This record gives sequence, C-alpha cells and structure tokens, in this order.
Amino acid sequence: MANKFQINSTEHCDVLIIGGGGAGLRCAVEILEKRPGTKVVAVTKVAHVQKSHTTTAQGGLAAVCPEDPIDKPIYHMFDTWKGSDCAADQNIIKKIVESAWDQIVWLENHGMHFSRDEKGSLSKRTFGGHTLNFGEASAFRAVFEADRTGKGIIDTLWGEALRGGISFINQSIAVELIFREERCTGAVIFKQKEGKFVNVLAKATILAMGGSGQLFKVTTNCRQNTGDGLALILQAGLPIMDAEAVQFHPTGIVGPGILASETLRSVGGILRNRDLEPFMERYAPKMKELAPRDLVARAIETEVREGRGVLNPDHNIEHVWIDLRHLSDYVHDVQIPEVTGFFKKFVNIDPKKDLCPVRPSVHYHMGGIPTNEFGEVQKDVQGLISGLFAVGECAAASFHGFNRLGTNSILELITMGKFAGEKAIGTLDGDFSEPPGDAGEMTFSLFSKFFDGTGKENIGQIRQEMQTIMTEKVGIFRKENSLTEAIEALKALKDRTENISLSNKSLIMNQELMQRWELETLLAVSMVCAQGARNRKESRGGHFREDFPERKDEFNYHTLAHMTEFGKVTLGERPVDMSIYEARDENYEKFAVIERKY
Amino acid sequence: MENTYEITLKIRRYDPDNERTWVQDYTLEAGRILRFTDVFRKINNEIDPSLAWNSSCEHAQCGTCAVKVNGKPLLACELLVENAVSHFGTTVFEVGPITVAPVVRDLIVDFEQAYERVNKVKPYIIEPAQNPNPGNEYQIDPRDLDYYVEATRCVNCFCCAEACISSHKGFLGPNAVMASIVRLMDPREQARDERLELLYSEEGIYRCHTSMACSFVCPKEIDVAHFIALAKAGKFKQETKK
Repeated sequence: MANKFQINSTEHCDVLIIGGGGAGLRCAVEILEKRPGTKVVAVTKVAHVQKSHTTTAQGGLAAVCPEDPIDKPIYHMFDTWKGSDCAADQNIIKKIVESAWDQIVWLENHGMHFSRDEKGSLSKRTFGGHTLNFGEASAFRAVFEADRTGKGIIDTLWGEALRGGISFINQSIAVELIFREERCTGAVIFKQKEGKFVNVLAKATILAMGGSGQLFKVTTNCRQNTGDGLALILQAGLPIMDAEAVQFHPTGIVGPGILASETLRSVGGILRNRDLEPFMERYAPKMKELAPRDLVARAIETEVREGRGVLNPDHNIEHVWIDLRHLSDYVHDVQIPEVTGFFKKFVNIDPKKDLCPVRPSVHYHMGGIPTNEFGEVQKDVQGLISGLFAVGECAAASFHGFNRLGTNSILELITMGKFAGEKAIGTLDGDFSEPPGDAGEMTFSLFSKFFDGTGKENIGQIRQEMQTIMTEKVGIFRKENSLTEAIEALKALKDRTENISLSNKSLIMNQELMQRWELETLLAVSMVCAQGARNRKESRGGHFREDFPERKDEFNYHTLAHMTEFGKVTLGERPVDMSIYEARDENYEKFAVIERKY
Repeated sequence: MENTYEITLKIRRYDPDNERTWVQDYTLEAGRILRFTDVFRKINNEIDPSLAWNSSCEHAQCGTCAVKVNGKPLLACELLVENAVSHFGTTVFEVGPITVAPVVRDLIVDFEQAYERVNKVKPYIIEPAQNPNPGNEYQIDPRDLDYYVEATRCVNCFCCAEACISSHKGFLGPNAVMASIVRLMDPREQARDERLELLYSEEGIYRCHTSMACSFVCPKEIDVAHFIALAKAGKFKQETKK
C-alpha cells in the first residue's frame, strides 16, 4: 500500500511560510517589501488567506502613541508583565511594546481602515487590564477597526502580499518538516485539492500555523485550529513550551462559541444558574459580575459541575444564563448591539425578552513553539534550529506568559511577524538545498496506516470524547487525579484510533482523511497539555489547580516538553527573562515577581 | 415551538475521482438552533463521514461556508434549522455548492479561482497619496470614512456574485468591483485612472443589470448595489473625494 503515495514534485523558494494568518502574512510582506523579488510561498490550510482565524479578532490592537500626553510604553509593559502572572519574557515585552506604534502606523499607511476620532486620527478605547501609571486608571490604548480589527489586518496584509508577488498554496497542510544537517530546509506539503504531496524547499521556513482551540468542546477558535504547528514540532523531535497555558473566556455563546464580550457584564448583565439565582454574589460578594475573567469562569464552571447548569439539548452543552432582560432598550440598541445580534442570529433568541446561554469558551493558547526575540525556533534552552522560525499563536516567545491581555494577541502577530521577516532576510543567500532521500517517508507510512485501518470507530466520535475529557479534566479546573485520568483516557482514545477505517479512500479533498490526520495532531497536543498541567503543581494565569490554588516561585519557569512517542513526555525548563528588572532602570521594581491582583 | 425537526437535506455531491455528480438524501433529527454547519457535522459523525463541506470561523466573518439552499446563496453557519424551516416553509432542503468557481468535491469549491476576480481589481492601495504628516497616520475625516466603511465589511463569500444575473457572463461581479470602489473612495489612493479604467471596462460595471440581487442576498447586509450605483452615476469621475 505504501507505494500508493509519492512526492509528486519538488518546488524551490526562498521563504516558505506555513500559515496565512496575520503573523505569517506580516512576515511575508516584510520580506517582499525589504527584499523585492524574493520568492515567498505561503501555505494555508483554509480556502484562502482571507478565511484565516485572525479575521475573527474583534477588539483592537494595544499600542502607545509616542505623542500621548499621559500613556507610556512602560505602563503597557507593566500591564503585560502583571497580566502574564510573571511568566512572560521581559525582553520580548520590551521589544514588542516599543515597536507597537510604528507597526500601527505601518498598517494604516498600507490601507487598513482604522476607526477615526473627530480629528481624523486613530480612535482609541480602553480594554481590561490596560492601565495608566502602573494600575491606577484605565488606559485608552487600543486602536481598532470597528468590531473587526483582525479582518482589517488580514485584508491589508493579503493585499500587500499580492502586490509583492507572493505565491499561495491554499487548502493545504504541512505534514512533515524537512531537515538537512540540522538545518530546516522546507516541508512536505499535502495539497488537498489535487490530492498530491510536494516538497517545498526553502532557505527559511516560517511556521505561523495558529492555535489549538479545537482541543476543547467550546471554543472561539476556527474549525481548522487543531494545533497543527505544535504537533509538527513534536513530530520533529523538538519541544513545545507552556502547552498547559490555555486561556478561557468566561462567556462564550453556546453553539458557535463566539465571545459574548465583557461589556455585557459591565453594562449590568447578571449571571444566573438553573434556579435563576444570581450566583456571582456567592463567589465575589463585592465585585459580582465584574470580578476578573478567571474568577468568573471558575464560578460558572462550579455551577455547572455542581448540577446547577442548564443543558442545551441541540448542542449537548451545559451552560448558565446571562440575564439582560432588565436593561433598557438604549443599552441593548446602542451599547451592546453586536453581541445581542449574535444571540439573535445564532441562538434565535431576543436578549430583551429571553435569557441568554453562555459557557466559558477556550479562547487562546499562550503556549507554543519556543522561540527567541526574532522568532527563531529553539531546540533547547540554548540552541536554535537554523532556517526555522515560528510566529503567531502557534509560537511562544513569550509575550503572554500564562495569561494574555485583550488586544495583545494581534499586536504580537504584526510585530513578531515583522521581526521574523527581518531576521529571515539575512539567511537567504546561498544555494538551494536538495531534499534528503527520505523526505515524505514518515508521512507515507502514517497515511498508509490511515488508509489500511479497519474497524468500526468513528473519527468524529473520538474527537468529541477527547474534547469532553479536555474540557472536564484539563479545563478551567485541574487537579492531580483528574489529570492522571485524562492522560490515561487520552491513551485509550489513541488506541481506539487503530480501529478507524476510512469510508473514502481518495486523496483528493477527502475531508475524512483530513479529520483523521487532525485527530493525530489533536491527541498529541492534548497529551502534552495534560502532562504539562499535571507537572505544574501551582496555579498561574489560565492554569488553575484546585489542589494547588496559589502561585509558587519554584515554578517561575517555562515548561519545555518533548514527546518522542505518544504519551512519553519529557519535561524541561526554560527560565523566564527578567531583563527589565535586572537592568535596574527607573521603575524596575514593578517588574519583580509581583502579585497579580486587580 | 418544536424542539427538534426531522429534516431532509438533498445534497448535491461530486466525486472528483470518478467525475460523478448525484444528489444524496440525508434525513435526520435536528435541534432547532443547530446551524447548517452543525447539521453537516452531524451527518459526518452519525451518517456519512465522506460528505465534504467547507467552513472556517462559523460565525459569518470569513465566508467559507457559502452554499445554495433551495436556490438561495447563503452562509451555512448562519442558517439555523428552525429559521430555515420558517423561511423556506419546508423541512426538505436542496443544498448545493455555489457555482462561481469549479467544485472540488461535494459542497467544496475552488475559492482560489473565485478570488481571481478580486485579484484583478487589485485589493490594495495601488499608488499611495502623499501623506501630509509623514511618519504618522494619514488623517481621514470620520464622515468621509462613513461613506465607504460599510463596503469594507465584505468577507468575499461570493454570495452576491452567485446571485448576480451578470456575474456568470463576463462581469467581474459585485464583490470584486466593490473592492475597487472602496479604494476609489479612500483618500489614500492615487491610482484613480487605473481603477476607473477597469471599472468602465468590458468586465466592469456596465455589465450590471441593476437587479440588486447582491444587496438582497449579502449575508453581511451590505448594500452592494448602492456602491455600484454610485460608480454608474459617475460619482468618482468628477470628484477626487467622496
């Protein structure tokens, strides 16, 4: 059966970018602008780069304008450090924050349709966790394009990449990285539309493969966000970092998982359980609904866990209610029209009259492929893999540590994308490499296994069970024995994949084959996430251990995890960079290991 | 109100390996607020894993899941079962791929080919205008932005091109010309002549018969026809702004 597969062709390019979201495209445009004529090939899993997950980012981009009379970059750095629960790297924070405004201006000058103030300058708004003067007052720091900032970024970058002469390979996945003498020289790409495998050889390869929200049952992430970049790195024998650092947004709309924004609670929305009790009074008597995200998320999960949730039969998801019925028409129509629109459109209810179903939704993966400040991929604490970069949500430099602030994610995309592009330009001289003879063999044996599988197991069923395990045992609440149960359950699921047979044995646009492949990546990333979470016997940012509810200094490090075979995870450490603190400049004491209290 | 509906989807399928096209019926019990993307997933998980369909964000922000249901182009992620039943007055739905691009398999079309139309209008600033304040943002009066900001919400789902009575016959299509019109209204664009030339070319707006189907079907509720009408009225010929 193995001879069924072959590499159909080999293409050469200067730069191969795997993933066409904000980070990948920003990187592409940097290279095309600074080094015109460079042959850049971008592979995207979706039908077209405009369909990437970045498009769904709503809120904005944090950046301090140098002319701002009261806001300062040091405040933004502090907020990011504090928000990260002292687990972000300060060299990365400094670099991104200091270049933020230039990158906003760059986007505007390249045609992004930012919202404007009365003078015609960029409008700014506040966002949770962004403050002035080290926590004193809310900062107006987020520029935005209405409620579609991510789409504005993608539209702009896609246009610029087209102008620069990029080549796209759409609806395709990277199944294997190619190495030659310790250097990454490209990847084996599976083109779904043609059903063909091709070698794409490159002088620099950039992974910009997005997040992994599909590990969980309710997520704000797109369908294709299955942690492919992380699995690709693990498959190559390289480590991933802080896989256990997952962010849960407290209120996702049951069904599509879309965010029902914080605004609903700030305008007076009340969370209620099955008995319609306003339960936040029990968890945060003073702050109630306005308590921090993680506390609200845990309160909702506790209600559900203790049987006070409500089951939505259509989506088979337990949830609580957010009650907006008592709010005035003005609030509904003027202050929260987008979100009420979502409830109308996707749940078919009128928030003026009906209770709205919400459940915490997996929003962001802080963990990822470990890189330095240029996006170069690390093979361990010291060493780099030459020719290989990672940017965007699949990467961890780390700007977010264990908890990401709103509006910092798309800022990371456009800055780290640029930095990686700049750095990659310096690596493009020299000859093209030839592929090693065994490129593709690992993939062919994997695909043969998929095609030869016999048995009655259903891919979708196993995937749903995995999502349930991850949600219940590796989700908002984690503890030793349930994490161990999750690890065992994941192993059992992996065993069951041996009994999957494909009903369709074509290579061309075979969605079943794609889901079979995704199941491998999802299970691999789940396993590393669960083991990382079990090892981290403390609570930090998005990682909450019921049995160890406090943060501990002994865990002031990033987790580096290798997985040589399924379930065999070895864990190491990477120190957290404290260079702002160590520089002893003005306000350095704010960058010590501080309490994360709001 | 019903809790579930027994619905039948008559899905137009295409098998590229054998170049075979057929209609397959799937009858299933579906909860009232399942979206059509959820229904497709349910078919995959419970009836037929081989049915191929496309999606990405599944909340109407990317346009990948555009299909035709009972002849109407729409986003499958936005169509709830109970709304479909009341809108079409039936529990039987004919579901097929959009036809502005070749089908790859079942409901999945080759978007890359559809996008060729948009690429032709150059969806970027061709020639940036002089920025009076170099190194800073170009100042744009919010009232000027208001004239065209609606058009920037387009996600290129191609539902308008599908519904357009001219876009299968040499017209670039509503979404593509609207992308160019956005830049004609954007004060940062200087390459006005090049844009106008394309707009008034053989493939341009005079192919439009003003059926206004584009505005009628747009899932983002953009009044696409309005922007085309501005161009037809010569709005961009005389003025440099608005």
